[in-house]
Amino acid sequence: MKETGIIKTEALTKYYNRGKANEVLALRDVTMDIRRGDFTVLKGPSGSGKTTLLSLIGCMTRPTSGTLFVEGRDISHLPERFLTDIRRKTFGFIFQQFHLIHGMNVLQNVMMPLYPTDIRISDLRSRAEAILEGLGMSKRRDFPVQGLSGGEQQRTAIARALINDPDIILADEPTAHLDTALSDEFMAIMRDFRQKGKTVIIASHDPLVYEKEYIDLLVEMRDGQIRNLCCNSPDR
Amino acid sequence: MSADKHINILDFTIQSLLRRKFKNAGIILVFSFVIFIAGSILFLSYSFKREAVLILKDAPELIVQRTLAGRHELIPEKYAEIIARFPGVSDVSPRYWGYYYDSLVKANYTVISADRSLQTSNRLFRGQMPGEGDFGNAAIGRGIARARFIDIGDDVSLIAADGKVMDFRIAGIFESESELLTSDLIVMSRQDLSRLFGFPGGVATDLSVSVSNETEAPVIARKIRDRFPDTRPILRSEILRTYDAVFGWRSGLILTLFAGAMIAFIILAWDKATGLSAEEKKEIGILKAIGWETSDILEIKFWEGLVISLTSFLTGIILAYLHVYFLGASLFAPALKGWSVIYPEFRLAPFINMYQIATLMSLTVIPYIASTIIPSWKASITDPDEVVRG
Amino acid sequence: MRRSSFFFLYVFFCLLVIGAIVFWSEREGSRFIAKSPDLQEITAVLRLTDISFSHDARYTRHPSQADLFSAFQDYPGSIDHFPSGSVTAPPDFSLLSTRITVRKR
Repeated sequence: MKETGIIKTEALTKYYNRGKANEVLALRDVTMDIRRGDFTVLKGPSGSGKTTLLSLIGCMTRPTSGTLFVEGRDISHLPERFLTDIRRKTFGFIFQQFHLIHGMNVLQNVMMPLYPTDIRISDLRSRAEAILEGLGMSKRRDFPVQGLSGGEQQRTAIARALINDPDIILADEPTAHLDTALSDEFMAIMRDFRQKGKTVIIASHDPLVYEKEYIDLLVEMRDGQIRNLCCNSPDR
Repeated sequence: MSADKHINILDFTIQSLLRRKFKNAGIILVFSFVIFIAGSILFLSYSFKREAVLILKDAPELIVQRTLAGRHELIPEKYAEIIARFPGVSDVSPRYWGYYYDSLVKANYTVISADRSLQTSNRLFRGQMPGEGDFGNAAIGRGIARARFIDIGDDVSLIAADGKVMDFRIAGIFESESELLTSDLIVMSRQDLSRLFGFPGGVATDLSVSVSNETEAPVIARKIRDRFPDTRPILRSEILRTYDAVFGWRSGLILTLFAGAMIAFIILAWDKATGLSAEEKKEIGILKAIGWETSDILEIKFWEGLVISLTSFLTGIILAYLHVYFLGASLFAPALKGWSVIYPEFRLAPFINMYQIATLMSLTVIPYIASTIIPSWKASITDPDEVVRG
Repeated sequence: MRRSSFFFLYVFFCLLVIGAIVFWSEREGSRFIAKSPDLQEITAVLRLTDISFSHDARYTRHPSQADLFSAFQDYPGSIDHFPSGSVTAPPDFSLLSTRITVRKR
């Protein structure tokens, strides 16, 4: 079922604070191609541009130059409203710091991405409950998120990323705050998604992540550029 | 187009407000209090003004006082005959009245003489009005009846100017619904009044002038002043203006007393408006990163402002109404009425000026909503990747 | 129940109360207007010029009429103000057992 280019970049370049004294060139001339269903890992030290690339792919910011295709559509020049729409429909994010909203319980945090849509709240709730059930988090449903353990926060974040049933799951340093057992558990969940045909893109410099044998595409980055592309899948 | 989305966002907003229960409850409390104060003042002064205008509708069109060395002085009755001949003047009658200090209850009464009687159908008066030559009878207001524990048929003793005691039989009493007008009145015959106060013959307290065409009243007033330079005519329109000023001043006093609360609230709102906390900024970033649009974020802020300000406004205005019309404005009464032994016990007629209420609403609810939306504007238009990069 | 429903319910409740208030005000206001001819007759017959509002002192009883220390002595309607004594009552000295003795020389 593999087809071409769910994500495609051409000479993608990103400056931060362009034209100011603190100008940073975060990404330079990145050209790559991720196919539907690929398990991709962006590997590199901090500051190598992997988070920037992840943000660009996830439509959270726009490239300074170059083009980015998501599902065959050039989104580099789309207005913000459309980017938000794509972000909401296509991507699920798992952040390094989890970025859960404190003071709210697990269920509310999971439901959060779909509040500003016309979904009926009861449908949304049952969907969130089903996802939490699948992640073994049902018993923590009404627990305020700041009281959860690291692993539980991680799983809440995963559940939140899944609430919109995304095609692509993006994770930024997901194992940075987890021990080995929890990291392996996380990777197992991600592998599960890939089995279900979802595209997974993880930025990490953790060997527990990038040394997994089931990775399809390993992108090694340094100084905002791709150093090495390494494909594991047989048909590539 | 379904409303689900907006209700979902409202749900989220209320959930988010509940996280800082005490802070937001505090804001609602202070906000309601400010509305309560401002609303009470608006209700009170507007009702008073409306009532004063209605009650004094048939007050004398023109009162002519005489002044001597800048002070009020009794006016010779013969002035009346001359003024009555002015073109446009339909009637001139002398008024005899004065103040009586009752040392027993430490209160001032207004003693006044009547030369006409009320119609028997008048529901606000019971008994007999002492007319011309009706010796030893008096009609009193409810305030005096309360202070002296007397009613129709009882006797009341007053001490005349010559030190002798004068006894009066209470022949009539004003009903309590007229208290705003009659609470401290004692009505007696002109002859009794002259004896009580020791009026010299041929003078009155002042003259009441009726004119055939009210628009001409200022012209007649000027003519009176030209003819009698020692007089001071007072127009009915000026009386009503006086009441405007009195209530304006009294409400201003209350406003000053509560200015502290207002300022505290403005500071609070200003603080909210200018300082979006780092945590709030982060939350906005998170929401954007997980797929909320800028307009959705602003909608949260709109609901946030609306929930707080509308709740406070409605609560405050309802409490203000209950306070003014059911509890007799007990919080402000001392500043508004002054202290007094014969307190008029009246219930204000609930005249409401919708325009004033709408103004109060637009001056509080809308700025508050604006002050919650505007500061989050900048935070909500930044790219969400700033959150991701932490 | 949804949290938003509580908000709507509260607003609805307040509007109901306000509706009742407006209704009640209309009724009471027109009742006052209905009895105002009687009040106006009293005003006309006794030729009254002021409402019996504050009689803490004589000069506050008829603010529109000139009197010694009257507030609106010279210009009716001017933004003058009452003496500050109008807000609080004078202190009660009757409890002080002060005796004034006058000695003959």
